[in-house]
Amino acid sequence: MDADEEDFVFYGTPIEREEEMTSRKKKAVAEATGQMRALPPWKQEVRDEEGRRRFHGAFTGGFSAGYYNTAGSKEGWTPRSFTSSRKNRAEVKQQSIFNFLDDDEKAELEGRSLGTSLQFDTFGFTAAELARKQAEKEQQKRPSAIPGPVPDEIVLPAANSIGVKLLLKMGWRHGHSIRDAHSNSLYDVRREARKAFLAFSSDDAKTSSDQSEPVIRDHETTIEQPNDNIYSSQSTPVYVLHPKQDLHGLGYDPFKHAPEFREKKRQRVSGRDISMSESLFASRSGKVAPGFGIGALEELDVEDEDIYASGYGFEETYVEEVEEPSKMSRDHKQIMGKNEEGILPGFKVASKSDYQLERFDPPVIPNDFKPHHKFASPLEVENKFTEPPPLEVPPPEDNNMKVLIEGFATLVARCGKLFEDLSKEKNKSNPLFCFLTGGKGHDYYARKLWEEQQKRNDQKRQQMNLKPLPTEKKLTAESRGKILGEKPLERSLRDSDSSVTSADFLHLKINLSDTFTKPASLNEFLEAAKPFIDDPAKQERFELFLKEKYQGGLRSTDSGGSSTMSEAERARERLDFESAVEAIEKGGHSKGTNLSSSQQFLELSTATKLQFTSGGLEQVKSPQAEELITKKMYPKREEFQWRPSPILCKRFDIIDPYMGKPPPVPRPRSRMDTLIFTSDSVKTTKAEDTATTNRDALPLSQLEPEDKKFEITSMETVVDSNKENIERPVDLYKAIFSDDSDDEGESSSANQVENPEKKTEVANTTLNRLIAGDFLESLGKELGLEVPPDPVDSINKASTTASQKESLRASTGCVKHQPADVKSSSILDDVNKPVRTQEAAYGNISLLQIKTGSSSNGNNLDYANPQNDGTQVNSTIQSGGNSSKVDLGKMDPDDKRVKTCFRQDQGWKSSESSDDERSRRHSSRHRSQNSSSSSEDEQVQKHSRRHWSRSSTSGSDSSDGPRYRDHSRSKVEKKGSSRGKSSSTNRNKKHSRHRTHRNGDSPSSSSRHGTERRRHGEAKKEKRKSKDHGSSVSSKYGSHRKHRRDER
Amino acid sequence: MSASDLPRKEANVLRGHEGAVLAARFNGDGNYCLSCGKDRTIRLWNPHRGIHIKTYKSHGREVRDVHVTPDNSKLCSCGGDRQVFYWDVSTGRVIRKFRGHDSEVNAVKFNEYASVVVSAGYDRSVRTWDCRSHSTEPIQIIDTFLDSVMSICLTKSEILAGSVDGTVRTFDIRIGREISDDLGQPVNCISMSNDGNCILASCLDSTLRLLDRTTGELLQEYKGHICKSYKLDCCLTNTDAHVTGGSEDGFIFFWDLVDASVVSSFRAHSSVVTSVSYHPKDNCMITSSVDGTIRVWKT
Repeated sequence: MDADEEDFVFYGTPIEREEEMTSRKKKAVAEATGQMRALPPWKQEVRDEEGRRRFHGAFTGGFSAGYYNTAGSKEGWTPRSFTSSRKNRAEVKQQSIFNFLDDDEKAELEGRSLGTSLQFDTFGFTAAELARKQAEKEQQKRPSAIPGPVPDEIVLPAANSIGVKLLLKMGWRHGHSIRDAHSNSLYDVRREARKAFLAFSSDDAKTSSDQSEPVIRDHETTIEQPNDNIYSSQSTPVYVLHPKQDLHGLGYDPFKHAPEFREKKRQRVSGRDISMSESLFASRSGKVAPGFGIGALEELDVEDEDIYASGYGFEETYVEEVEEPSKMSRDHKQIMGKNEEGILPGFKVASKSDYQLERFDPPVIPNDFKPHHKFASPLEVENKFTEPPPLEVPPPEDNNMKVLIEGFATLVARCGKLFEDLSKEKNKSNPLFCFLTGGKGHDYYARKLWEEQQKRNDQKRQQMNLKPLPTEKKLTAESRGKILGEKPLERSLRDSDSSVTSADFLHLKINLSDTFTKPASLNEFLEAAKPFIDDPAKQERFELFLKEKYQGGLRSTDSGGSSTMSEAERARERLDFESAVEAIEKGGHSKGTNLSSSQQFLELSTATKLQFTSGGLEQVKSPQAEELITKKMYPKREEFQWRPSPILCKRFDIIDPYMGKPPPVPRPRSRMDTLIFTSDSVKTTKAEDTATTNRDALPLSQLEPEDKKFEITSMETVVDSNKENIERPVDLYKAIFSDDSDDEGESSSANQVENPEKKTEVANTTLNRLIAGDFLESLGKELGLEVPPDPVDSINKASTTASQKESLRASTGCVKHQPADVKSSSILDDVNKPVRTQEAAYGNISLLQIKTGSSSNGNNLDYANPQNDGTQVNSTIQSGGNSSKVDLGKMDPDDKRVKTCFRQDQGWKSSESSDDERSRRHSSRHRSQNSSSSSEDEQVQKHSRRHWSRSSTSGSDSSDGPRYRDHSRSKVEKKGSSRGKSSSTNRNKKHSRHRTHRNGDSPSSSSRHGTERRRHGEAKKEKRKSKDHGSSVSSKYGSHRKHRRDER
Repeated sequence: MSASDLPRKEANVLRGHEGAVLAARFNGDGNYCLSCGKDRTIRLWNPHRGIHIKTYKSHGREVRDVHVTPDNSKLCSCGGDRQVFYWDVSTGRVIRKFRGHDSEVNAVKFNEYASVVVSAGYDRSVRTWDCRSHSTEPIQIIDTFLDSVMSICLTKSEILAGSVDGTVRTFDIRIGREISDDLGQPVNCISMSNDGNCILASCLDSTLRLLDRTTGELLQEYKGHICKSYKLDCCLTNTDAHVTGGSEDGFIFFWDLVDASVVSSFRAHSSVVTSVSYHPKDNCMITSSVDGTIRVWKT
């Protein structure tokens, strides 16, 4: 909060609020006091006490009403003189359409309203209208018991013109034409009635009506004629409006460009439409208001009229006189009566009808037709008597066979020898029917046939005796069914006895199949291909299926499958058959050999087998097969990589197998974290990409540390990674090396110069740690404490810092203090080992790191003489750069998270690191120019100052405060001890030693993964820290502190 | 051990649970047993004398599994309240409640050192909880399962878990590997052989399957019982000679390990046998049932 407030300048005293303000309220208040005040009125936001933006309504200003939510105007608030609302009541505004019209629309509207002037107001419409208005006006003025406007019905001004009056007296009514059309008796009758009804002179009417007057007729006023000849008056049609009868848009003329069709259409339509419309409109005009519920085609007939007939006819038109309702109804009734004969009222009989129901004569039955089929050869009734009965033969053991034979025998007995011959021919190749041709079961068949024939003959004779020609006399449904071989409708019985059913079923099937004539194609099919030849039962079913398919008739419920099959199997088989048929059909088209079609089928069946888990030819043993398959399939073993968490390993007392490997992307803990990490993960994958590219560039065979190759590949990867993420900074190693290896690594330094901004936070934080001593010192200076300048030290400093860096690098590289050659040999061993697949990605990186590690180790060992072997160092640099580059990608998550800094520790780190980056850049440039100690010192000071200022100003994160303080406190604490450069160097050395020590106790397996392990170590430390302090502390910070503690 | 030595004689009936008993477990040395059930309690018994010793009440819903440390000092339990409870046996107080499972917790186990509690839940995850630290956050969440995890087993270096997705997954901490054995059938319960070489998985197709742990090979299938909808325990006898398990019709089955024949089966309970636990040393077995009783069986 303190840091927060430093940024703002406050005027006045903040309003104190109660404690129970919600956070949102607080925020609102804070904003109101802090931000809003300073803003100009058009930028201010109005919020309510809950902190929400005030919403005035979508159409009344949205979030801003009035003049930027104020009551004023741009000129300010202008007071007006007071007007009493008591005197000036708010007027009730009467809205009219004019309120909503634009000016041009109003003008348009003004010219629109047409009306007859009083002069020409023949029918008094305008007068009536005027009168009504007048009445309304009067009514409004007059105090009335009934508030509101009087219903129009009550106020009925009699404002008929004299002409109307006269006409009405003459017998004319509204909606009727004035004409001479009373030739028929009906009209006379009506007229007589009217005459009687009216108390006016009939003579006048007669005379007037006798002379055929001009007919006033508009589209509504054509009266319908009871009979069919349409009345057309002699009068001049004044203005004929055509009713809109089509569904086109207004003014649209479909025949505009083809007028010849218009005539056609009219002709076509006229026959019925005109009469209809006339009748409709005529009847409607007078009696019934055009309203809802009456369709265009509905005739207003008896029911409609009867309602009004009983009492007074309420007319809608005001001017119309109520006149002879009873008569009207009678008229209509009479009309109805006239129209009755098979024609809808309002319709007339068409002279010639376009549409005729096509009727076909029933087929002529030839005289000699007999309603059931007979085979050409006579039933061998008589001659069978003489034949000696075949031997009694035991039925074949195959029950199916037995059933088949029996069924067939019955059939043959009924249909005659010809059928046997036919089927013999047909099923020549079918092994199932081998009993016909004298194969297995032939004896039994012969016997059975004989028996059946005997039976049949007996029956015949009986029938003959009892009633001659029973079948021809009475053909009941049952008997017909029997003849046709239909199943009797005894479903339940069938179901209950399945064994009988199957037998019956077969009978029926055969009967069925043979009663109907087969199409030729079916026979072809059967001969062409027997796709299930190895499974006779199935083949049989297939044939049945085919028969059903091609004959169409009488499909049984359990089509095709045997009764033992399950529903699923049946369905599958059906599909199978379907495909088989298709295949055969295809083959049939080519009409090639049987072979080809069957081949085709086989193909198809295999295809289906692929499609359905089991099927095709192994249908019968499918359950077992499935079981087998499942047994074969399960149990299925798979292996995955799984990373136990380090603590788990610890708790299980097991060495973490992934020790030293970079931790997986941490599990997001909160929504915030997820947000933060999403970007990181993307970056991580990028880094992974880099890794893979690296691997690609470096095949396993090349893993021998050949400097040249190494250099090239590493260069490549550097370039690659640069390309891939431009903003990714140059790695730690480069950063470190570039300082004191300008003379050596030309390429790296060039790179450095090229991308001066590419500095990683990691690098900088390490550097930060590295120059912590300097930092502390400078801090001391900053705080006004004397730090005695030590010229000797400063002279030494160049070398010491270099060495310091070396050691640090070594430490960060997690290289053990082991002889380099041993290291490298072990590395080689590792390399030669087949890299496990899941670690493949890491393998090369680690190798690179190892390389780096070893070389840097070498460096470390002889840091006393900085003049190293040129090429060696060069390669080191580059390989180091490469590896750490790759590595950095992985590290990125941490560092990026740092940037977003929701956790305290990282908040600090971020501010510092980004800051460091700058200073770092600075320093590197400086160093490239001259590596004198003084410049560095300066720079460190700069850095520290900047850091200080930054943390003081930009620590928007309030949680930064304590940490920072902690940090500074530690600095202050340290101050005393960290006087000399040497001491700080020492400390750093110690630190590094400590680090390496820590890493040293980790198992050798992990030593392969230099940097990663370092990270792991840090993570570990972090965990420990977190345990110690309850909150997770930045690893770097943590290590820093740790180091301090160690020192102490 | 011959078939005659099987514990078929009812030695004691432990009554006390109100409602179904969901699990009954011997402690490490087999002198005591723990049971838990739908009455939201955990009960400690001496099954040999048939004495009820202690009741642990704190769960808000049914308790589905309980386990005791080898030193008998701590308990862990889990259940429908989505929490894993870490109890002190003697005081009967809850030391820690591990919250984190998103739904019911089906099984819970201590590791060898009683430093970690591993729990398996309906939320398709296995979570490990640290008993040493004060953290109530899981150390690790294993969520590779595709369905509810029903049962877990622990060895010195592995976590085994059976899931309704049909897999038995072995998480080898030592090599950092997950080995998934897909059985194709929902796995209800897994149990390790005493030699640690085999795993017995009870599947919901009324089959117990014995797997070789090193190869993942299916060694044997044991059928005859009914296990279609309940979580029924199964285990091997102390000598690994027989396989035993409950059935949904209240029977207990004994199969021969090798030839998978039903050596013995008898009606033990009036209702579903939810849990069986075999004495680590003797021919003694406890079974628990939905009928609310725990029965102790001896030869």
